[in-house]
Order: sequence, then C-alpha cells, then structure tokens
Amino acid sequence: MPSPLRLRTRLTVWYVSVLAVLLLLYAALVFAFQYAVLTRQMLHDEVQDIVTAEGLLYFDHHGILELQQNYYSRPQSHLLVDRLMEVLDLSGRVLYQSSNLHGMPLGGRLQDGEGQTGFNERIVRLQDGTHALIVSHIHAINGTTMVIRLGYSLVPLRERMLQFLILLLIAAPMALVVAGAAGQVIARRGLRPLEKMAAHAEGITASNLDDRLQIDNPNDELGQMARAFNHLLERLEQAFQQMRRFTADAAHELRTPLASIRTMSEVALEQSPSKLQYNDALANILEETARLNETIDGLLLLARAETSQPGLEQIDFPVRELVDEALSVLSVLTEEKQITIVQENDSPGNWIVRADRVLLRVAFMNVLHNAVKFSPRNSVLRISWTHRNGNVRIAFQDQGPGIAPEEREKVFERFFTGRTPATVSGTGAGLGLSIARLIVDRAGGHIWFEPVQSGARCVMEFPGGAPTFQT
Amino acid sequence: MAARPKILIIEDDRRMSDALVSGIEAAGYDVNAAGTAEEGFFLLHQCHPDLLLLDLTLPQRNGLDILRQIRSEGTDVRVLILTSHNTVEDRVTGLRTGADDFLGKPFSFAELLARIDALLRRILQPPASTNLTIGDLTLETKTRTAARAGEPLELTAREFDLLLYLAENRDRTVSREMLAKDVWRETSRYTPIDNVIDVQIARLRKKIDDPYPIKLLQTVRGIGFSLREPQP
Repeated sequence: MPSPLRLRTRLTVWYVSVLAVLLLLYAALVFAFQYAVLTRQMLHDEVQDIVTAEGLLYFDHHGILELQQNYYSRPQSHLLVDRLMEVLDLSGRVLYQSSNLHGMPLGGRLQDGEGQTGFNERIVRLQDGTHALIVSHIHAINGTTMVIRLGYSLVPLRERMLQFLILLLIAAPMALVVAGAAGQVIARRGLRPLEKMAAHAEGITASNLDDRLQIDNPNDELGQMARAFNHLLERLEQAFQQMRRFTADAAHELRTPLASIRTMSEVALEQSPSKLQYNDALANILEETARLNETIDGLLLLARAETSQPGLEQIDFPVRELVDEALSVLSVLTEEKQITIVQENDSPGNWIVRADRVLLRVAFMNVLHNAVKFSPRNSVLRISWTHRNGNVRIAFQDQGPGIAPEEREKVFERFFTGRTPATVSGTGAGLGLSIARLIVDRAGGHIWFEPVQSGARCVMEFPGGAPTFQT
Repeated sequence: MAARPKILIIEDDRRMSDALVSGIEAAGYDVNAAGTAEEGFFLLHQCHPDLLLLDLTLPQRNGLDILRQIRSEGTDVRVLILTSHNTVEDRVTGLRTGADDFLGKPFSFAELLARIDALLRRILQPPASTNLTIGDLTLETKTRTAARAGEPLELTAREFDLLLYLAENRDRTVSREMLAKDVWRETSRYTPIDNVIDVQIARLRKKIDDPYPIKLLQTVRGIGFSLREPQP
C-alpha cells in the first residue's frame, strides 16, 4: 500500500527521524562521558584531600582527635571546604566527625580491612537521603590506628548533571524542528523539476505524442528519468504511427476485394447476362470473399500472437521435426517445380526449441512457402542448421530473384508488397512474413534476411539446446 | 422409405436464414427457420427436428443459453452451432455446453452440408461400407488401394486420402478449407496451402482422369472440387 504522505514529507520525516536518533545517541554519550570525568575528578580530589587531612589530625591534651584549622591561609577559607570527614578507631568508635555531617554517620560500620589496601571508594547514603562518594584510609597517630573516611556530597554533581540534561532535552527538539523545516524546503526545491515534468506529462496525449519533456541536466537522476520517459514516448509514438498505418492498410486490403465484389454484382445485375456469365460473376465474388476471409484470418492470427502471453502455450520440441513437417506438406510444390532441398547440419543433433508449436509451424510454412514460391524451376533450396552460443540458427537460401537491400526490412511490415511483382511477400495479403516475424519474436528468436550474392537468404534464430532425454 | 430428416434453423439474420433454408431444402431436407429464441423453442417442441442449426449471437437471448435449456430439458436433437466467434475457446465452450459440432462463419456451404450429413448419418444410417464406387472408379478402404476401369492406380498416401475424402463426399462439392482441415489436418487457418491443394488435385487428376475419356474429378469454380459421374 502506498503511503498517504507526499514524497517530500516522507523524505523530511525520514531525515528528521535519523537526526533525532543521532542526537539522542550523542547526548547520551556526552552525558555519560561527562559524568564519568567529573566522578573521577572528585575521587582524585578526595584521595589528595585524605592525605592532607592525615597530616592535620592530632590528639589534643584531652585525648580528643582534632583537625588543625590553621592550615587555611584565611579564616573564611575553611567555609569553602565541603568535605565530609569521619574518623573511627578499629573498634568502630567515632573519634572525629566534621561539623557538616551534623552527627550523621558517614558510611556506618567498619568493613573488613577497610582502608588497608587502596581507598575503598564507594557511594554511601546519608541519613538525610543524600548520597556521597567516599574514600577510606588507615592511619596511625601516637600508636592509635584509625580509619579515616572522607567524602564529598554527590548532590551538587547530580544537580549540575540534571541541568546539563535539561539543556540537552530542550536543545535537541529545537534543532530537530529547524532541521525539519530546512529539510522540507530543500526537498521541495529538489522535487520541483519533478512537479514540472508531471504537469507536462499530463498534457501529452495520443494527439501530441511528439511532445517531449525538457531535460535540464541529463546526468542527474531527474534528467535520467526524463530521458527514459522521452524514450518511452518515442516508442509509443512509433507504435502509434505503426498502428495508424496498419489500420489504414488493413482498411485498404479489406476494401479492395469489397470494391470488386460490389462492382461485379452491380454490373451483373445491370446487364441481365446469361446463366454462364452469372455463374462467372458469382464464382469471382466467391473468390474475392475467400481473399477477404484470408486477410481477416491473418489479422486475427496476428492479434492472437500479439496478445497471447509468451510462455503460456510454449512447449519444448525438436525443431527439425517441425521443419520436416512443413517441407512434407509443401513437397508437392517442390516436386512440381523440381526444387532440390539440401539440408546441411554442422553437427548431428535434433535441437530442442521452446515455442508455441502451432504458431511456429505457421511461421515455418510461411517462410518455406515464400522460398518455394520464388524459386525457379530446377533450383536448389538450401537449409543449413548451425548451433552456436545456445542458439539454433536455421538459414533458408533459395535461388530466386532475391530481395533489394532497401526492402530487406520492409518485407516484414504488414501488407508490404514489393515494387516488383516477383517479390510480393507472403501469401496474397502480404501478411505472411510479418506473421512469421511476430511468432519468432514471441518465441524469443529473431528472423531477418541476410545479404547474399544471389537469391534470398532468410535466417531464423532461436534460443535452444541439445535434446535432453527424460525417462 | 424413411421420412426426410427435419432441420430447424435458429438464426436472426434474415438473409443468411433465407439462403440456408433454400440451400438445405434443395439438398433434400425438411427445413424450418426461427428468428428468435422463443420462436425457436416453439418450433422445436412443435416439429421435433432431428438437427438444430443454432446461431450463438441472437437478440435477447444467447444461443448458449438456448442450448443449455435444450440439454436440461433432455430434448433429443443434434445441435450444430454456427457462429462468427470461432476461437478455440468458443469451440470448447460450445461443445462442453452440449453441441454436437461447431462451424465458424463464414463457412463454405459445401462444408455445412457435409457436417449436416455426418451428424444425421450418425443416427439415421449405418457406417459406409469399406468399398466405394464412383462410375468405374473403385476404392478399397481396408487395403487403401484404388482402381479405375479395373486397372490399379498408383497413389501416394496423401493422394489416396484425398481421393477417399472426395469419394466419401461424392456428388457433393468439397471446399479447399474442408480439404485443408480434414485431409491435411491444418489446424491454423492462416497457412498457405491453397496452392498445395491445387497442385495435389492436379496430380491426382493426372492419374485418375487423364488417361480416361470420362472425367470424374471436377473443379467447381469459386467453391472447390467434386467427384461425380457427369450427367449425360
């Protein structure tokens, strides 16, 4: 089912969708990378900090662990430090706690071997629900071994990341809207020649088939399409012309016997002739109706061969048999004219051809009948068989008057009759060879007259192969 | 002696119908003609014909419909379809519907008479004997030999077939179309064999007629050929 959207819109939708996916992917990657970098930085600061803090811890004269505050160059500087710190002895008793923890434990009970190797970095949840990234380290002062825990709250980091995310989520749709609008405009501009072509093509009918699409750039896709369309128009125009000529020719061919029937009847009725003359007129009329009938049968056969689906009635059969069959039907004529038939075969084989056998028989009959008709008495009709590149080629060469070079193609036209009475093609109506050509074409083959020194050489070629024996 | 066979024609073209009636009557049959399906049915039940010549393109009612009704009623009548729609498919449809034979327009009248005869012979007469005689010409169908005035004739297979066909249709004219179809077995109508037939007839004539004073094989101009004893 075709999409109801216009091509332009579809192109834009596709383009915007792909862009959206890419943007999301990009945002996710940037976000993750940023988060990882900031976390690492924080960890790095904490490790440095914990080493500094170790040097600042001391027991006062009451035996209470304190942090030296004189480390800061200015008194207000320590307000800027938002480090969370807790010191525990190995039994888990809290020795020191930074004031910004407000009595909340930092990390709870001691873990096994906490701070002994590495820094045990981890995220812990404080009692107020916020999270902190903490590191631990073991340290000894005055013979007391203690675990120092130090961390920073993750709240500011997460707030910053959230802001970053919101910014991305606002910016991406805006970018998509802009891209979509631009895409629409670009697509419309790109497809405008197509609209022009369609409007132009709408105006082409049977009466102005000579009209052609204008090609701006023959190398781009639209130019190629216009060229293809123009070629189609050209073939159509030719077919139309051929059909018109054919209709005119057919009317002429049908009218000629009708005219003589009419005249003969009128003359016979006017003259009140003798019985013998009447009989003569009637016999003439009958002969003319036979001619009419033959033309109509030929036209029907052409129509049948033209409209039948190729492949529908096609069967595999040995083509040599069919030619022999046609020759045997025509044998009375060849014997009568004492024509010698010579068959030459470059390799012994009964080649198999795929075609509508009944129709192909008509084609062979027409070609052979023609050859026999134009052969002089006591002449030779040479039939040579060759098989090359998967094609069976049959050449029929007679010793008749031959065909003028300029008529070699024309003899296949419907109702063509040569300029000299001796080269009238086909039987009576001049349909024989055009029927043969249509049939051979339908079987996927070719038929043509080859230039030869004397006589005519009709060549037929079909795709065909060696016989396959099936059990 | 048996009554003359009765034939009913259902054909809407008056001229065609008139010509058929006079031609078939002249050949020795009782003929009735109807121009419409209703008239045809009336005459069919009234006269009980042996054979019905049925045109397929009738006003109001298609000939195939009529045929279907005749067959469903179980009326005992042979049916020969005459039509200008004579493609292979039309033929098959006609014969499937219950026609006994099918003849495409335009046909030669000789062929129509031959078909009528063949259809009626199937019910009225036993098959022809194995020997055929026309004047002093004799044909032996079993041995496929022919002789004239006691002298054996040397005929090719095709010549014998041709002579046999002419002999079976003796005293009647045989058209080239009939010969092409029945002797040469050409299925396609656009095959150039008319002069093959003419030459073959000429050769046959040379063998069976030329040496003898009485000529049996006659050319009927515009129609075809006929094998008959000339009337004194």
